[in-house]
Amino acid sequence: MRRILAQVRKELTQIRRDPLALALTLVLPLALVALMGTSVSLTVTDIPIVIQDLDQTPLSRQYADAFRTSLMFHVVTLPPATAPEALLATGRVRAAVIIPEHFGREIRRGRPTETQLLVDATDGNTARLTRGGAGQVTQFFARQIAPERTRVPVQTATRLWFNPGRESRKFYGPGFMVLALSIFPPVLAALAMSREAEQQTILQVYVSSISAHEYLLGKILAGMVTGLTQCLLSVGLLLTLFGLSLAGDPTPLIVGSVLFVFCVVAFGSLVGAAIPNQAAAVQAVGLGGYLLSFLLSGLIFPIENIPDGLRWISSLVQARYYIVVVRDAFLQGGGWPAVWWAVLAIGAIGLGFYALAWRAMRRMQVKA
Amino acid sequence: MDRVRRLVAGRFRGRFWALALKELRQIRRDRRLTLSLIVTPVLQVLLFGFALDSEVRNLRLGVVDESRTPESRALISTLGENATFRLAGSYATPTVMGEALAIGRLDVGVVIPYDFVRRRMRGQPATVQVLLNAANANTAQISQGYVQDAIARLNRDLVGAPAAPVELRAAYIYNPGLVNVWFIVTGVFGTLIILNGSLVAAATMIREKERGTVEQLLMTPASALEVVAAKLVPVFLLLMIMVVLVLAVAALVFHVPFRGNALLVLAACGGCVLTGIGVGTFISTFARSANQTLLISFFVNPPLAMLSGGLTPIEAMPKWVQPVTLLNPIAHFAKIARSVLVKGAGLDVVYPNLLALLVLAAIFVGVSAWRFRRQLG
Repeated sequence: MRRILAQVRKELTQIRRDPLALALTLVLPLALVALMGTSVSLTVTDIPIVIQDLDQTPLSRQYADAFRTSLMFHVVTLPPATAPEALLATGRVRAAVIIPEHFGREIRRGRPTETQLLVDATDGNTARLTRGGAGQVTQFFARQIAPERTRVPVQTATRLWFNPGRESRKFYGPGFMVLALSIFPPVLAALAMSREAEQQTILQVYVSSISAHEYLLGKILAGMVTGLTQCLLSVGLLLTLFGLSLAGDPTPLIVGSVLFVFCVVAFGSLVGAAIPNQAAAVQAVGLGGYLLSFLLSGLIFPIENIPDGLRWISSLVQARYYIVVVRDAFLQGGGWPAVWWAVLAIGAIGLGFYALAWRAMRRMQVKA
Repeated sequence: MDRVRRLVAGRFRGRFWALALKELRQIRRDRRLTLSLIVTPVLQVLLFGFALDSEVRNLRLGVVDESRTPESRALISTLGENATFRLAGSYATPTVMGEALAIGRLDVGVVIPYDFVRRRMRGQPATVQVLLNAANANTAQISQGYVQDAIARLNRDLVGAPAAPVELRAAYIYNPGLVNVWFIVTGVFGTLIILNGSLVAAATMIREKERGTVEQLLMTPASALEVVAAKLVPVFLLLMIMVVLVLAVAALVFHVPFRGNALLVLAACGGCVLTGIGVGTFISTFARSANQTLLISFFVNPPLAMLSGGLTPIEAMPKWVQPVTLLNPIAHFAKIARSVLVKGAGLDVVYPNLLALLVLAAIFVGVSAWRFRRQLG
């Protein structure tokens, strides 16, 4: 135990004396979480659209005004003698609403009419949202002009749970916190490990009385100190800048965080122990920690959409489980019944990494 | 004729080509570098294209059917008809279903009231309650739209319901099948070019610094400009090979349509490659060692990639971030790639973006070449 603590103290001193590493652990990850968590969103507001009014009657103008008053759209004026398709082609607008001739007359005669919506579907998701929003505006207009004919037999009352304002940052803030924790603590751990090999200081470790377990645990505990500090600071950021609050029992988050930080630091140590070159080790962590966590953890798009051939890999990505734990703690508040499996999986993956790192280190012998 | 040949031969034997050839050989001998030039980008574009998909489908739907009538069962089957919802369970009471929603076993819950049919018989509207897990704002908004569409269809099919006075008919243009992968691949392409370009450029630059061979470069009779150019040109050519490979993957694996002029896209790729080289060289002039360049690029690349509109629309970003993306080469590249490849646009549409991209490339390469030259001096 004393030897482990001595190793921890040595590691922490080393980190403190390296200002770039310290910035790496504390300041910059927070800046990244703040910037990306608030900027990334899939739900567009103020979608630029253009309206071509071929009817030019009070009713058609009322319909166009319904789009102008909607928060979702921003109506761009159609320059004279231009087809709406031209604006779509240049990308100045995302959609065009075309009101046909005789629009007002048909409505006054009580005959159903149709308007057309041309959507630039280059971005499929935004195209879907645009269509949904334009449909709602049209329904609203229909109710306004003919309340008796739009009385429907079945209507819906929708309740939005957990994030009633549908704020994207409340979903992506926790996600990017997990991403930042999947990058920086393992990078530091990998550097600390491979540096010893690169600078040959590992020989001093080999000739000392410390065992492989003690050496690894010392390295990992030191990495966990900085990792957990980063974690705490990120949680502070979520509570302030992102307007989140703990939704329920905080113990799954606490246990999950400690296990996750252990897991990623063990992963970094494993890479550092296996690759005795700092640049190569950092690149490997970048691939495993950053790219896999970014792509296969459900950070931006749902995991269920990943094709089966790739999806099984995601069950080995620790970030995938921690994202569930963090989002549950701040949004759903389901507590242990909701996330026990995820916490368990993080612990299991962490133990796996530790065992592999120990295998790489256990002989404590100079490699030929 | 002979004079021309001698001139060309002279050029090839010139200082510039000697240095450029040395650079090419050096890159070829570095196995990790060659790997990150060819294999990594192709793997990355495959991974990104397959793993990222914004479509909302297979949402788990829970039902509380208090009405237990043929009509209510018809409504449930209407909801389960499309690929968006998958019936995941029926519950006895709304409270039980609420718990399932809270522990994440469901995404959407629908409650059909006991007086669903009776109210309609009396001519009163029946209300169906929809509970949505809105933690993910995008999924919530899209699934809300789907539920409303299904209900609207049901209303239309019910006998005696009057037709709405106005209906909106939507047509998706450029991508009628709403294939999301076109958006993702054209979006991450620029990120891949900048990411790998900056890594390779930084690696070749920092190597001279780390091994102290800058001294040898200084001793050659070549001028500083020749040294810098001989460093950049081989990297540029190799990266353009990578670009063609990635374009081939986009066309053959993901069937991205090549509707516009492919040369225009290649020009944009060239601008992007130059910017990447500039970024990499710039980073390498600050760093002392190879792992430091990698560490710095960890902070430069994620924001560059995320604030580009490559994966998520720029219009959805906060108002103050949107103008900042004008300085992002990836944002311009994504605009060009999408306009030309998917929409079939020409130079008349994309020239502002192409110009911006080239200006950014010139600035990055210029500043980094200047800093590199100063180090040589």
